[in-house]
Amino acid sequence: MIEWIHPGLVIFLGGFLIPFIKWRKVKLAYFLSLPIIGLIILILTSKGVFGSIPPWPHALYKWRVPFLQYTLILGRIDKLSMVFAYIYVIAAFCMNIYALNVKNHWEHVAAMIYVGSSLGAVFAGDFFTLFFCLEIMSWAPVFLLWFRGTKKAMGCGVRYILWHHFSGVCILAGILMHLHKTGSIAFVHMPWAWDWDHLGYNLMLLGFLINSATTPFHSWLSDTYSEATPSGSIYMTAYTTKTAIHCLIRTFSGVQLIMWMGAIQAVFALFLAVLENDGRRLCSYHIISQIGYMVAGVGIGTPMGINGAASHALCHIIYNALLYMGAGCALYVVGTAKFNELGGLYKYMPISFWLYMVGGFSISGFPLFNGFISKCMTIEASELIQRPYIYLLLEGATVGTFLHTGLKLPWNIWLQGRDEPPPKIRAKLKDSALNTPINMLIGMGILAFLCIFMGIYPKILYDMLPYPVEFVPFTTTRVFSITQMFIFTFMGFWLLRVLVKGYPTYTIDTDWLLRMPGMRFMRFCREPLINFGSLLDKGILKVTYSVISWVRSPILAMRMTPRAIGLGVLIVLILFSFFLMIYV
Amino acid sequence: MNPLRKYPKKFFWRVYFVALVISLILDLYWLHLHILHYHFPFQGIWEFFAIFGLFGCMGLILIAKGMGFFIAVDEKYYARRYKKYYESRE
Repeated sequence: MIEWIHPGLVIFLGGFLIPFIKWRKVKLAYFLSLPIIGLIILILTSKGVFGSIPPWPHALYKWRVPFLQYTLILGRIDKLSMVFAYIYVIAAFCMNIYALNVKNHWEHVAAMIYVGSSLGAVFAGDFFTLFFCLEIMSWAPVFLLWFRGTKKAMGCGVRYILWHHFSGVCILAGILMHLHKTGSIAFVHMPWAWDWDHLGYNLMLLGFLINSATTPFHSWLSDTYSEATPSGSIYMTAYTTKTAIHCLIRTFSGVQLIMWMGAIQAVFALFLAVLENDGRRLCSYHIISQIGYMVAGVGIGTPMGINGAASHALCHIIYNALLYMGAGCALYVVGTAKFNELGGLYKYMPISFWLYMVGGFSISGFPLFNGFISKCMTIEASELIQRPYIYLLLEGATVGTFLHTGLKLPWNIWLQGRDEPPPKIRAKLKDSALNTPINMLIGMGILAFLCIFMGIYPKILYDMLPYPVEFVPFTTTRVFSITQMFIFTFMGFWLLRVLVKGYPTYTIDTDWLLRMPGMRFMRFCREPLINFGSLLDKGILKVTYSVISWVRSPILAMRMTPRAIGLGVLIVLILFSFFLMIYV
Repeated sequence: MNPLRKYPKKFFWRVYFVALVISLILDLYWLHLHILHYHFPFQGIWEFFAIFGLFGCMGLILIAKGMGFFIAVDEKYYARRYKKYYESRE
């Protein structure tokens, strides 16, 4: 009997075959079937075909591989890995539908490698496997960036890999120091303290925080996600950051430092989002803000907090992909997602507007949408541990989220109070309400359905979470307070709507602190350092040539006087004396 | 039937104002009847969530715009810097 089939490996290896299929329709069908196969394997695993999954925190261990004196565990199957794996394959299926009209099949390959390695990371039972999968994960999106082909995207790809190699080195250093200390490579909960004895754990935490784009290490996300190909960026929204959240849940849950970092991050990203002019960059700041909820939930560390973080990661993948798809539709159809160039698209793209709005309501946490369930769980966790400041930060982030994704973005792209888009944009649109390709609408439709379905019937979500859920979301107090808050948020937006219009600006982020010194350093290398180097080269060459000519020239040799020979002998004697003094 | 339609402005505003008035009245009424249960005392202040939503939203926009004086630059900021540092010699 087969021990288990690794869904990540199926998708990872399956992805490489895509370019070798000749017939386009077969190729697309195969591309769509990969996540479906992954989903079938997961369902079979849940049903106990490969052995029953014990209750959390116990796990079913499969695919043990000997490596040096250690045993790698490629398949640790427990409730936490299953919840992430399920959403990874479901999201991959919807994203594949959205990406069907992409002509470059290598983009599909990169996407499938990315999805497969992410599944590898969530099922990893040891640090070596985890690190290996994280490294593959850090390379796959670079190609999704480079396939865009623009100069800016090329630069973004390099910055992306630099950030992720740095985080990878931090994680590896942490793993090796932990291994040296304990002799174990088990991917389990780690001790944490703010001292030198825990340096390795701090490095590991830093690596995970960079991967999860926690403030102040968040700038790589807003910098790069908006520059990938329209469909490539959808994949990027889901996997890297959520895998890092999964790692944080496993290793550093209950660390108060990250609770505060998460809560501050949830609000901080929103300030930057106000100034944003690009639809996809705005959504990127919302990924950062929403990750703040998850990181805060992990930091709170109670069963409610962990459930909140896991469920928010799950819901976030769905609605954020939907938001990116909405902004990506505008980019695909009219070639830009910049607010100052758009507006009035509703008439020509109404379906994508309404589907986007489902995502907007979900991320804001409107009742009857999935974000309401997961967000309330994290906020309730902060209430239960009596942390009013954390509560206020998270609740404040809810206001800002609705302001941007529920109001600012749809207003600026689809509405702006006008019935027709600017003439330059209008020229790119057909006289039809169906300008968006059907496959994009189907992909968005499935995600929108999931947002509403999980919002109305949260039991399906509760059953997947690691801890038993004792949480009633639809109480009068919660539904009423959040609805009233949104009604008045809209009023604030309407009064100041002129200020949230798109202006053609770029917002400097924390990466300025690295990019400017980096540029100065490179200029130092290119100008003074190279000039000094060439000067040194010239000097050495001059001396060498004079020695060579002196040795080769017989005329010069003839001119040697007894005085010159005597001087030479004296120098040799002095050097020899030094040599004797040192070594004898 | 023309498939191109304008967005439903009038309908939206009517629903919005009705919801706004109902929410204000319900908050006072339910607080009076002790139907709403909160974890922190400040949540029980009259119309707390209305005030929080309105001023939170306006505060966020205004503070961010203030930050914009320092951190909002032109779209080609890094490209210009890049040119200055890298391509000046070429």
